[in-house]
Amino acid sequence: MNNREKTKVLLIEPSEIIAAGFKEIIGRNPEFILMETLADPSYYSNTQRKADIIVINPAVINYNERFDIRSYFCSEGENIPIVALTNTGYEESVMRQYDGCINIYDNAARIVQKLHSAIEEAQLNPKNELNELSGRERDILVAVAKGKTNKEIADEFNISIYTVISHRRNISRKLGINSIPGLTVYAIMNKLIDISDFN
Amino acid sequence: MGNNTILYSKRTKVAEIIAADNDLLSILQRLGIRLGFGEITVDEMCRRYGLSTELFLIICNIYSKHDYTPYTGSLQQSDITHVTNYLLASHRYYKEVCFPQLHEKIHRLVEELDAVNRKLIDKFYDDYDSEINNHFMFEESIVFPYIEKLSAHSKENTTGFRISKFEENHSNVGEKLNDLKNIIIKYLPEEYSSPLRFEILKDIYDIEKDLQKHSLIENRLLVSLVQKIEKSYE
Repeated sequence: MNNREKTKVLLIEPSEIIAAGFKEIIGRNPEFILMETLADPSYYSNTQRKADIIVINPAVINYNERFDIRSYFCSEGENIPIVALTNTGYEESVMRQYDGCINIYDNAARIVQKLHSAIEEAQLNPKNELNELSGRERDILVAVAKGKTNKEIADEFNISIYTVISHRRNISRKLGINSIPGLTVYAIMNKLIDISDFN
Repeated sequence: MGNNTILYSKRTKVAEIIAADNDLLSILQRLGIRLGFGEITVDEMCRRYGLSTELFLIICNIYSKHDYTPYTGSLQQSDITHVTNYLLASHRYYKEVCFPQLHEKIHRLVEELDAVNRKLIDKFYDDYDSEINNHFMFEESIVFPYIEKLSAHSKENTTGFRISKFEENHSNVGEKLNDLKNIIIKYLPEEYSSPLRFEILKDIYDIEKDLQKHSLIENRLLVSLVQKIEKSYE
């Protein structure tokens, strides 16, 4: 495997000891390559090359400023997985911003495993998504609003019930609407279905 | 709701508690406390109104401190009636003050809407209203009477029901209110720019927060006290 195919990791960690250790562990793995190490996120804008995954110590971020890591590291539409590197616990609201969390006491195998799952997580649950529904989500929303069950929707679209549930979860997260009557109101207000369907 | 560092104790003056967190005014209101109480302390007020001082302090802490975990150790089994009395008073406050206020504003808002949106909002609110009322009714007609019998040391006529069932039934009544909030913030068309929309949202946020604290009292205080009694009968 040459360097071009390797997954490029950017590390943001002020501790030289930890950074060196992380570099050593990543260096032993054929799939990843440590692209660069920064002591501070403010150097990020000077980085020319794009990382495939960012590993960052959350302590370098000032929470009082409500720093949005996502918009800081990713331009619009970009979805770089971001993993926390930490030896301590953080509030859930802080950790929710990350696609994964590596503890400095994790062994090498676990670290690699966590990088992989973070990449997967970023694809499955993109955190910087535009809040627009996709075409498929809109179709499923219409079916839900018309009162169809998950089973009926699965049959209609030829997908598994699990996929239906996952679509529904994403729809509710994007809209901020969870109840079926609420989704129906949304669908009618946005003219996806007609109110006469309910008379 | 602020995260106050002031320690509420039974010797604190009621006026000082309100000055520290004016959200607690609504607690006084639902408990039927009359204003004009001068320099009265928490303990004096609770004795005058037949309330449990311990419980009152716990409730104040629940309302004014984020992430406050109520500790039931200081409550006796005999305090359980105080808890249900408070919850009943709280239901009354929702039914007689909060929801009528919200309903009145929603009613005025829908009058400004076109026929389709009017129907949508009206029906959605009515559904929510009956859902929350059913929820209160379930507690008032099944759960609280069960607890009353239980604490009167009578096991008869409590067959079948256990407080764990209450927990199961304690479904997420906040879901629809949250949906309504997002519909008014995001999806009701922009052309309806009435200031009422902002007022309604403020009311919904207030009710949401209050209901959260209310369920915390039910789930943490009430359930654990009742479970203690249930266990003592086993």
